[in-house]
Amino acid sequence: MPDPSPLLPLSALGVYFHGVYISLTFGLPVAIGVMLWKYWKTGDKDFYRAARLMTAVLAVNFALGAITGTLVEFGLVQVWPGVNLAIATFAFAPLALELIAFANEIAFLILFIVTLGRVRPPVSLAILALYAVFAYFSGVLITAVNSWMQAPWGVGPVAQVLYPFMPEYGPNAVDVPKLVAVKLAAVATGQPISLIVEKPGVAQEVGVVLKDPMVAFYSPYALVSIFHNIIAAILIGLAVATAGWAFRYFKTGDQKYLKIVKPLAGVFAVIFVIQAPIVAHFMGEAVVEYNPTKFALMEGAEKTYYNPIIALVAYGDPNKPIVGFDQFEKACLSHGDKTVGDLIKAVGLPNTLTLQSAGLTVDFSKIASVKLADLCLQDLQKAKAYMPMIHAAYYTKVAFAIIGGLAAAVLFFYFYRAPGLSALATAIARLFGDERRRVFILAILLVLGTVIPAVAGWYVREVGRKPWTVYGLLYPSELVTPVPYSTSPGFLAFAYLVILAVNIGGLFAMYLVATREYKFLELLKKGAGVRP
Amino acid sequence: MNDAVFIGFAGLGLAVVLHVIFVSMTLGTGLLAALYRWKAYRENDAWAELFARRVFKVLIVSELFSGVWGTIITVFLAGFFTAVTALATNTLFIPIAIAIASIMIRIPAIAISWYTWGKINPSTHSLVMWIMALSGFGVPFGFRAVFAEINNPTAVGYYLQTGLNPGWMPYANPLFWTLYLHTVAAVISVGGFVAASLTALENDVRGVKAGLMLGFGFLAAQLAFGPLYWYSLGQYSPLLFNAVNTTYGPLFGVKLVAVAALLVLGYMALKSARAGAIHPATKWLAPLALFTVVAGEVLNDGSRYPNLVLAGDAGLPVALFANFYIEIPMPAVYVILAFLILSLVVFTTAAFYALYRRFIAEVPETE
Repeated sequence: MPDPSPLLPLSALGVYFHGVYISLTFGLPVAIGVMLWKYWKTGDKDFYRAARLMTAVLAVNFALGAITGTLVEFGLVQVWPGVNLAIATFAFAPLALELIAFANEIAFLILFIVTLGRVRPPVSLAILALYAVFAYFSGVLITAVNSWMQAPWGVGPVAQVLYPFMPEYGPNAVDVPKLVAVKLAAVATGQPISLIVEKPGVAQEVGVVLKDPMVAFYSPYALVSIFHNIIAAILIGLAVATAGWAFRYFKTGDQKYLKIVKPLAGVFAVIFVIQAPIVAHFMGEAVVEYNPTKFALMEGAEKTYYNPIIALVAYGDPNKPIVGFDQFEKACLSHGDKTVGDLIKAVGLPNTLTLQSAGLTVDFSKIASVKLADLCLQDLQKAKAYMPMIHAAYYTKVAFAIIGGLAAAVLFFYFYRAPGLSALATAIARLFGDERRRVFILAILLVLGTVIPAVAGWYVREVGRKPWTVYGLLYPSELVTPVPYSTSPGFLAFAYLVILAVNIGGLFAMYLVATREYKFLELLKKGAGVRP
Repeated sequence: MNDAVFIGFAGLGLAVVLHVIFVSMTLGTGLLAALYRWKAYRENDAWAELFARRVFKVLIVSELFSGVWGTIITVFLAGFFTAVTALATNTLFIPIAIAIASIMIRIPAIAISWYTWGKINPSTHSLVMWIMALSGFGVPFGFRAVFAEINNPTAVGYYLQTGLNPGWMPYANPLFWTLYLHTVAAVISVGGFVAASLTALENDVRGVKAGLMLGFGFLAAQLAFGPLYWYSLGQYSPLLFNAVNTTYGPLFGVKLVAVAALLVLGYMALKSARAGAIHPATKWLAPLALFTVVAGEVLNDGSRYPNLVLAGDAGLPVALFANFYIEIPMPAVYVILAFLILSLVVFTTAAFYALYRRFIAEVPETE
């Protein structure tokens, strides 16, 4: 099998940059909407100018989001071509529906940009809302695909066959012998899956693998992930917008910027209240139920232990133990002396599998004597190696989310009067200095309190499911490209250079768009016959 | 061929045609905009600056939507034609990587060019515009290699026979170079005609002349590149060559008539523009140029039907590459196609207001 390790960080870099732009894509429409609403209700042009400037930033950001999305998409089909099998089955419906979302998202964004300032604010708001609906729908669908990789809904007990500590993933909507045959063919031949699915005629010969193409949508893990991820992204976008205007207020002391910060901070606090205590809790419960090894990594549970606070949060029962790797190992040993050969028999596969269209003959006897318990234990060892990083990342996430929550509360009650709470908020805010400084510092804490939890949280989500790419089913090495120079220093250097140059350049350009005044328009104005 | 496979083939074709319409407009206009932005900076030419900005509006309106159709192509390929996608990514890694890198540079450069115009130093802005314009030509440099392999699988054939990765071999495919030259000349020519038609609406004679010089000049170059590509098809992709000349002969004939009309009308319009007048036919040059592009792409891709890949005298049917791992839910596919049409309506409305009703001003709002 090819070694996928040099390509994992490359993919992660692309995904993280995409995450930055997606957050702004989700958060800025809320901020722009708030400004347009205020402009509509008050007629104050400062709100319109704020909306227009954030729209310019959104446009550049959207272009960067689109290209990093393309990068991620091509990354999937090119660097991880085994994923093509998932795209053709479980991810087919979400990705096909994503076309609706993406095409209309862009069409309405262009319409919004073109008509902003030319039509009445409620019309602009309606177009913006339609854009946002399709943007969030896009987020829903992509999160559904990602969630399937976290908890492969629709494979029923398939993962449990090898890993007895895993739960069943929904109804069994797959043709088990075919799915197991594909997996074992990759293991027995030592070849990535793409080398099997690329052969003309193989799909026709294999036939239907998944009986219900919509099954990825029924996943409870996906449902809670959708809310968790989209709200997190909105919060980041709002926090960045709030901090941007707070910075202007800090630099100039101009009250018009404070006027913009206030409603943004208010909306942020309201959304944060939904995210942190409610949605995040359900996300945690889903991880406990469907990603047992990830939860053990998060809680540092090499051995099973008791902690009433964690148990109360995780299970709603302070007396339950935090299940550790020792229990998983015990479950692996319950296989006894059962081998891959026994599994092949139980599933009803022949000892030699022939795919005529691929010219491929797979002799399962090579792996028939491998003990299931050994395979299971090996994977647990691989997972355990990630424990220090996952544990640290998870608690970093929690700590910064608390900081973000506190900052949001202080800023909210600083701006919006509530008996007792506002006095306390003002007292805390005063610790940071004069009003310009305190508003800016609190806004920066909002950014830190959303960005760091998102970065760490995504790390926990993605790395926490290792050693699998599709939890309990497929390894990265089975999905990676077989192209030898994809891991060569030359290609990696080229890929890193392009990704970093475009993204750093793009982020700098967004900064320029947001902060620079027009200084070089004389020639254009002269050409257009506009008097200075 | 079952319904799902046919819809996949037809949907892929529709997406390719729409994508090609948009990229044909934007690659050429991007080059023209960069050229005149640079002239404006070098010669302090106020008209050139306005013209560059005016032409650039085409890109700012349509580039992202063009990209959408590129994504739709990818999803159709990966979802409906799993085998061909896996095979292409495993064998044509380098051309696809070149195309992706070019897209990554091109799209942000367009947004950055528009929104930093007047905010950054003109020399730096000119440089960004050149990066934007030239990176666009890297996209067909990658993807046209894939198309050449579909019609004449040199590198893929080597891979299937030896199991070894062909590396840069797609660029040794003789069909690639004639297709690439034909494509580049076509998109620059179309860009010139689009710019001419657009500026004719503004009664900008100098702009019309600038657009026509480019459009007509590269259309003249097509008199060499078009027959060269046609000849190379005869040499390396006999099945496609025969289909173009026989079954699709009528469409090929209509395309040739359209090219001839474009040459005559383009010449007349250029002559008028040189004399300081705008010929009434100028505004029809862009639709006519786009029609030739659509006809060319339908000939190039549709003529393969019912095959997806052609190898010499043999055709590999679409079904060999199709997705049979699920029963594709056809109602969902029809809903998706309906919503894609909705997006086209919304986009056309936006483009109408932006370009025809001039909702996007050349001079940005500063207050």
